[in-house]
Amino acid sequence: MTTSSTFVRQKRQEQATPPTLGLSPYIGPWTFEHASHLLRRGMFGPSYEQIKWSVEVGLPATIEKLFEEIPLPAPPINVVYQNDNQVAVGETWINARYSQGNLVDEMDYRERSLFSWTIGLMIEEGISIRERLTLFWHNHFPVEAILDPKFLYRYSNLLRSHAWGNFRDLVKEITVDPSMLIYLNGKQNSGEEPNENYARELLELFTIGKGPQIGPGDYTNYTEEDVKQFARVLSGWRDYGFTTHESDGDFGAEFFPSRHDSGTKTLSHHFNNEVINNMGDQEYRHLIDIIFQQDEVARFICRKLYRWFVFHEIDEDIETNVIGPMALELIANDYEIREPLMSLLASEHFFEMKFPGVIIKNPIEFMMSIYKPLKVSISQVPDEKYYSWYRLFGFTDLMQMTYYNVPQVAGWGAYYRAPLYYRDWINASTLPLRMDFSDTVIEEGIFPFQANGPKMQVDVLEFITSIDNPTDPNSVVEEFAKILFPKALSQVKLDLLKGVLIPGLPDFEWTAEYGEYAANPNNSQLANAVRNKLRNLLKTMLKMSEFYLN
Amino acid sequence: MKRRHFLRTTGSAVSIPVLLNGLSISALAKPILFNTVNDESDRVLVLIQLFGGNDGLNMVIPTDQYDQLANVRSSVILPENSILSLTDTVGLHPRMGGLKSLYDNGRLGIVQNVGYPNPNRSHFRSIEIWATGSSTEEYLSTGWLGRALDKKHPGYPTGFPNGEYPDPFAISLGYSVSETCQGSAANYSMTLTDPFGLTPLAEGEDDEIDTLYGQELAYLNATIAQTNAYADQILNAAQGGSNMVTYPDSELAQQLRNVSLLISGGLKTKVYTVTLGGFDTHANQVESGDSTQGKHAELLETLSSAIEAFQNDLEELGLEERVIGMTFSEFGRQIRSNGSRGTDHGAAAPLLLFGSCVNPQILGDNPEIPDQVQVQDALPMQYDFRDIYGSILLDWFEMSITDVKKVLHDGVQYLPIVSSCGSTVSGQQVLSNIPVEIECYPNPFSRWTTIRFESETEWVRLSIFNALGSEVRVISNQQFSAGRHEIPVDTSGLSPGNYFCRLQLEQRQKTKRIVKIE
Repeated sequence: MTTSSTFVRQKRQEQATPPTLGLSPYIGPWTFEHASHLLRRGMFGPSYEQIKWSVEVGLPATIEKLFEEIPLPAPPINVVYQNDNQVAVGETWINARYSQGNLVDEMDYRERSLFSWTIGLMIEEGISIRERLTLFWHNHFPVEAILDPKFLYRYSNLLRSHAWGNFRDLVKEITVDPSMLIYLNGKQNSGEEPNENYARELLELFTIGKGPQIGPGDYTNYTEEDVKQFARVLSGWRDYGFTTHESDGDFGAEFFPSRHDSGTKTLSHHFNNEVINNMGDQEYRHLIDIIFQQDEVARFICRKLYRWFVFHEIDEDIETNVIGPMALELIANDYEIREPLMSLLASEHFFEMKFPGVIIKNPIEFMMSIYKPLKVSISQVPDEKYYSWYRLFGFTDLMQMTYYNVPQVAGWGAYYRAPLYYRDWINASTLPLRMDFSDTVIEEGIFPFQANGPKMQVDVLEFITSIDNPTDPNSVVEEFAKILFPKALSQVKLDLLKGVLIPGLPDFEWTAEYGEYAANPNNSQLANAVRNKLRNLLKTMLKMSEFYLN
Repeated sequence: MKRRHFLRTTGSAVSIPVLLNGLSISALAKPILFNTVNDESDRVLVLIQLFGGNDGLNMVIPTDQYDQLANVRSSVILPENSILSLTDTVGLHPRMGGLKSLYDNGRLGIVQNVGYPNPNRSHFRSIEIWATGSSTEEYLSTGWLGRALDKKHPGYPTGFPNGEYPDPFAISLGYSVSETCQGSAANYSMTLTDPFGLTPLAEGEDDEIDTLYGQELAYLNATIAQTNAYADQILNAAQGGSNMVTYPDSELAQQLRNVSLLISGGLKTKVYTVTLGGFDTHANQVESGDSTQGKHAELLETLSSAIEAFQNDLEELGLEERVIGMTFSEFGRQIRSNGSRGTDHGAAAPLLLFGSCVNPQILGDNPEIPDQVQVQDALPMQYDFRDIYGSILLDWFEMSITDVKKVLHDGVQYLPIVSSCGSTVSGQQVLSNIPVEIECYPNPFSRWTTIRFESETEWVRLSIFNALGSEVRVISNQQFSAGRHEIPVDTSGLSPGNYFCRLQLEQRQKTKRIVKIE
């Protein structure tokens, strides 16, 4: 028991750290550690090759690559289900209606298809920040338990297509997104029976944020009365086509003038006492333009981006030197997310090298950081591939992070709930799951969701060929550590790991044994011996606390 | 603000019964004053959280309101003759035979209409309010039990476990820690899925401890080490413990079986949390054609049979005087059923307490169901949930009133929900057992009405709740002298409709329906 360990974070002031660097571009040396930090934060589980590529091309080119425009992914398909009269195997279901009398089964396979596809996008992404931003927006504009996968697909692609696009446009779109209309009761919001749920979250969690209460019902940035007036403006929208059997399968959002409160709405002084007259189906857009006139919106979203990409703690120093300048840049660019985010990820601040390894990986990051750098094998046969991805989805669910089922409207606790923040992911139940998972994917392999298809497994003998110097045990341990951990390991730990690879033996024994195997790769006895040693090493490394950090 | 004012004007409040915002506790009457949760105590609290918002009206049925209920929740109402009678006016859902037998044997208490003044109908916010013990307006980052444990163990988790405290303070069965146990530096609850399945986790070494990175690394290493250290204790307890009865197969029952096993094996954990999800019954709450069947019925049976087995096991094991349990859910549901044989998010609801040491009573009144019920109408609260928490901390964990107030809020009120059970109770004085009554005349009224009630010399909060369960007007919140009182109330500003007048004395609460007309 290490009782000396501190659970309590020390106050920043107690550490003799220099003042925070700001948003100016980082122009210092560009090393493996810098490139690794950027790619670990900017995508899911970069590989050794990808990091080395970044070292070669430099910071600006890596940033350009992360934000490179790429077409939307091909939609999820029906990989195996024979009984969908609307969708043949191999075709997509995203616009297809449901068959009469077969709704449950069709929703079921389509949902699996969507979940699998979503995991697949993260596994198969190149150097791109898009999936990470899609997950950021999913955490920011959450939905939960939307049963029709057609709705969720549309929602997901809305986030994806606006990943680093215009924040104001995204807020407008999400406000009348059919999944969101269901999730936050927008569909129940009418002039006659107002429902304030979406109005409240639009202010409190999606755009301007709730400031300190400075008077009865006054939260600095808006008032309770604003919530009421907002609900009136937003009234009249409903989703349609949920689980529809209709012949064209159409679905979406629809405005009902009769359900809209057509009276005059007056906002508080926080919005300059703005008066809104009836504008029918355009009124919500006008309202969102009004919110975005308040610069606090820019600061609010920049803080959330900061917590997602850098660290949870935002002190006055960071507020002044990082959040403030990001917000100004966001406003100057008419709320295009791309510019301030690029600035952040290329800034002196981001590359103050105190940030690598300070974020505890969420379950998706954890899994991706095994699957991608270690090149876990996945069948390329469509149904086997989907079922492999679906198995991974199941593990993330077990580890308490389920895509499309965000537990709170404020997002996953790790990104907003003090005092734990990212530590929220770690406890006595989730730790063994992580450890079992990494052991299994290295040792026995993991079957796809249904037992057909090959196992997903790390081919350690293949993996070791990707490092620069596999014959030197010191290099093996060092290079593996560079691939797997966010920071260089101490020499003591490197030595311990070498002891796992070749317990109690001199270095040349590894060189000899590996050399012999490399010369005779078909000799199963030699292969087994090397494989077992490498598996032991990797299993040990993936269970180190260092591996849970990003 | 009120409290500070009161303290200033009262002078030496210490030597007389302290009267702060309605709580009367005679500090001198208390036999032993513990500053914190009493560590010597071997008492255990089991929390059963019902996720989704339990339809209280379909669990504890006010049978004297049956006709009104049948009128407005026709699509879910139980057949009158199927309801299990507890008293002349209160019944249980027919699938809760286990709890009825607990009630008949003096092992079940019910508190009616538990909620908070301005109910939030968001699951998440309301779950947070119940977990943290905050008011609607307040955002807390620690749980109510976490704060109670912080009082005694301000340094936790650094240095734990140790020789004096070898066991986890709290255990959450399942995959996530309980928000109720979040302390200021760490969560006191250890998650547990299988007490026999604990294998040692690889422990690591700290590095660069004075950096942000080093601190996260240390947190992970410490969590792993603590898990391992507690794992030995848990495994020992599991191996040394036993169960004397057969439990149902439900996950909830199996979790409670593990709780009983660990207690019998000598684990000194004070709090266990278990959960049962699925109560968000917007649709198909009951089966078409048979309202005694369906989703909600199954959940209630699961709950009832699991608690019954657990209680029986504790009694067979001779542990029944060490354990009490409590159910809670983020809110009840609306009075009206909806068009999908379901019910939507509401406000107050009954809460169950079980064990040999709870007061086997039905505290509070049946909710009054009006003839006219609007779509979103829900039940107003009679009891504040924080008073239940506070009374458990006082009586069960023998915490001092000063600390209970710090953990919860100054206005915390004592409720006699835990009985003495042959050992020390915290010595709270019950001021008056005479049920309090409210008269309102005229009723219905158009603008003016007069409210009459009788009080001791005590703090009185008199307020009006609307049909959605929100406190919309505070008529009076001040010290009253003993006697009968008549308070004229100007209701202008309230639109016509159903309201509830709530009277809160120091230890007695009453809610009465009033009606405003044009």
